[in-house]
Amino acid sequence: MWATNLKILGVVLGTLALYTLIANKIPQVQSEVPRALTLGADVTPEQLAQAGEQVFAGIGGCTTCHGLGTRAPNLLTDEKGQGPIGARCGKREPGKDCKAYLYEALTRPGAFVVPGYEPIMPDMTRTLSPQQIWAVIAYLESQGGAITVTASDIPAESKSTAGGGPGNGATGIAGGSRDPMAIVHAAGCIGCHKIGTEGAAVGPDLTHVGARLTAAGIREAILLPDAKVTKGFEKFAGIMPKTFGDQLTANQLEALIRFLAAHK
Amino acid sequence: MVDAIHLLQAATDSLPAYRDFPVIGSRAAVWIAAEIHLMFAAFVLGVPMFAVVAEAIGIFGKDQRYDRLAKEFTRLLLIAYSATAIWGAVLTFFLATLYPKFFAYLTAIFGVSMWIYVSIFFLESFTLYLYYYGWDRWKYGRAKVGHWGLGILLNLWGTTVMFIADSWLTYMMTPPRDITPDTAPGSIKLWHAILNHTWMPINIHRLIGNVVFGGAIVGAYASYRFLAAKTDEERAHYDWMGYVGNFIAISALIVLPFAGYWLGREIYQYDQSMGITMMGGFMSWLWVIQAFLIAVLFLTGNYYLWVGMGRIPGAERFRPYTKWLLAVLVLGAIVWGTPHTMIADSRELAAMGGSHHPFLGALGVMSAKNTAVNLMILTTFLSFLLYRRANIRPVVPWARAGTLIQGGMFGVAAAIVLFFGIRGYFVEAIVRIGYSVYQVGAVLACIIFVTVIDVLMARGAQSLGAIQWGKMPPRSQYALFILAVTFTWLMGLMGFARSGIRQHWHVWQVLQDTTKYAATPALGQAAIMISVCVLIFLSLVGFIFWLGGLAEKSTFVPAGKEAQHVGH
Repeated sequence: MWATNLKILGVVLGTLALYTLIANKIPQVQSEVPRALTLGADVTPEQLAQAGEQVFAGIGGCTTCHGLGTRAPNLLTDEKGQGPIGARCGKREPGKDCKAYLYEALTRPGAFVVPGYEPIMPDMTRTLSPQQIWAVIAYLESQGGAITVTASDIPAESKSTAGGGPGNGATGIAGGSRDPMAIVHAAGCIGCHKIGTEGAAVGPDLTHVGARLTAAGIREAILLPDAKVTKGFEKFAGIMPKTFGDQLTANQLEALIRFLAAHK
Repeated sequence: MVDAIHLLQAATDSLPAYRDFPVIGSRAAVWIAAEIHLMFAAFVLGVPMFAVVAEAIGIFGKDQRYDRLAKEFTRLLLIAYSATAIWGAVLTFFLATLYPKFFAYLTAIFGVSMWIYVSIFFLESFTLYLYYYGWDRWKYGRAKVGHWGLGILLNLWGTTVMFIADSWLTYMMTPPRDITPDTAPGSIKLWHAILNHTWMPINIHRLIGNVVFGGAIVGAYASYRFLAAKTDEERAHYDWMGYVGNFIAISALIVLPFAGYWLGREIYQYDQSMGITMMGGFMSWLWVIQAFLIAVLFLTGNYYLWVGMGRIPGAERFRPYTKWLLAVLVLGAIVWGTPHTMIADSRELAAMGGSHHPFLGALGVMSAKNTAVNLMILTTFLSFLLYRRANIRPVVPWARAGTLIQGGMFGVAAAIVLFFGIRGYFVEAIVRIGYSVYQVGAVLACIIFVTVIDVLMARGAQSLGAIQWGKMPPRSQYALFILAVTFTWLMGLMGFARSGIRQHWHVWQVLQDTTKYAATPALGQAAIMISVCVLIFLSLVGFIFWLGGLAEKSTFVPAGKEAQHVGH
């Protein structure tokens, strides 16, 4: 019986060793905790690109869509014979060099949508700090092109280390303006929602939102966008940022709610 | 009430957030305790399901073999139950001492359900004791049916306990969207937290998974007893028991992917980025390993059946088909294991020439994978069918026509699977996803209708000789061990996938893990942890098997009780 027991032990250990070995032979990717980014005034383009790569693969969540080949253009590899993004970014929009185009793509993604794709890209200023955005631009430029981002591109006042977006709870976005359309534009709502003739159709049309939602419903939709997902838009659940509660002042939020509730 | 919440909050605030565990660290300690508890729990929840079914077959089919089988299952259960409770206590103490703030957070929401959990656990324990120790006392007539009722009650308690525990872990994955980091845990309604996105899909997935797991462990137990058997009768009994365990495990395994599909869909609907992290992000390689493991399960399960046909008179008629079945399984496994999208750096992508490999990329898409796995399921079903048919010759007048219809159903199902698999390459993704429903539907319809025809056709069939239980080469029994190890390892891997997609969050986007262990480890390190857990679990199970042998003499099947020809 001892011989049988040893054989059983051999089969068990052998099987476990095989599975462990295979799992250790394939590429090893660890999911890191997002780290704060601090770039000094003497940061080099290479350091920027290196930091950008970490944001791209980590907290930026860029790989969620870019690189799959179906949801959004491939950025790190050739796209329809035009090379990786660093090689093609300067030719995307007339009159815009690579840096300007990439900055626009990250901060106002609805302004230009690559033909063949849906306008699902969120405004990255809502989740990334200016430093992180410029680091990503440097990294994307490095993919087949030259890095033109320098430390001088990064606004001096933007020394925050992570997230934050274009405003904070103290001043609000759009410089604290209470003009609803100024808020709508600055917050990037029309990147996904249509209001009148403006905007895209990624999220529900807000032209008559007041007819289907009460003021309380609109407030909930802004502050907790995933609490109730509008029927037909389930596949876009999770895209709308959950940061407006921190970004808008109370006055701005109420002005926006009144404005939308009046759109019956 | 408000004061109580404030007191609880104050107590929570005064707790240290974390403590560390010596040598292996707090995360590894909790990982091992949780995983082993879960493995034992799966066993003690899965086994009662088929113990009660086996007892019912014994009662209503008047076949004593099944009653003895059910009792033997339950004897294993009794010892395993204590181990489940011990590891559950270890897990609770580890959580309370190593992650006190997080544990306080969970108790603030789920405290009431934890009290209910303990009460039902208590009821479940005593129902189990009654069920086992009353076996010989309530053996006949109405008392026996009452005893069977205890078995059903045992399953009800067990399922309820599992559903409650599932609500805690699914809340960690998919907390309701209106809950934010600022939401006071005491203000969250219990039922609201329980009814989260993945609660019911996980419940169903685990329910089926437990049956698979229980079947595999019982199969391993039977193979151990077979190899240790001293008499032919004993060998025959454990050969049969191993066959039943394997049959249950593989049959339930065939249904499991559908429950997994539902779970995956719910994860995507809850948060697309979480779904993509799971399938196309840092976990993408995990699915290649999963495909390899499932390929091992399919191949080993089929191998066991093919070897088993050696002890069935008449089975030699079907032996020439084996190589073709093997070819389909191997090809299917290769396609299923082909990676589709995976995280890669720019150099790797450039070397590959794009995000997909120019040739293998075509096989890595879901159209090819769904086609492969559906054909593998059909092939495995065909193996079972040949095994069933091996020692009988149908005598009903429509036997030939019936066989032709069965063959036609296989052909039509395979054609539907292939048609939608190929067509999937030429349509939009949203249309392509819908095609998997047609493929699965065709396979399930084939399995159901072919089985019905087969059962009707086997009525009064001519026997070519009884199955010679016990006349199995030892290598078939080692195959059962491989199945048990693989199922257990796969369970650990899927547990890592489910838990790992939360990444550095205790509760997704609500409560962050700020320990030094917050980063989610790569697959290699996870595999080492899984292997350690499996080894500890199997060592303990081996000890339980040994105790099972000490506790009672094995229950043989009297040779005369062998069914005439359809003894499986």
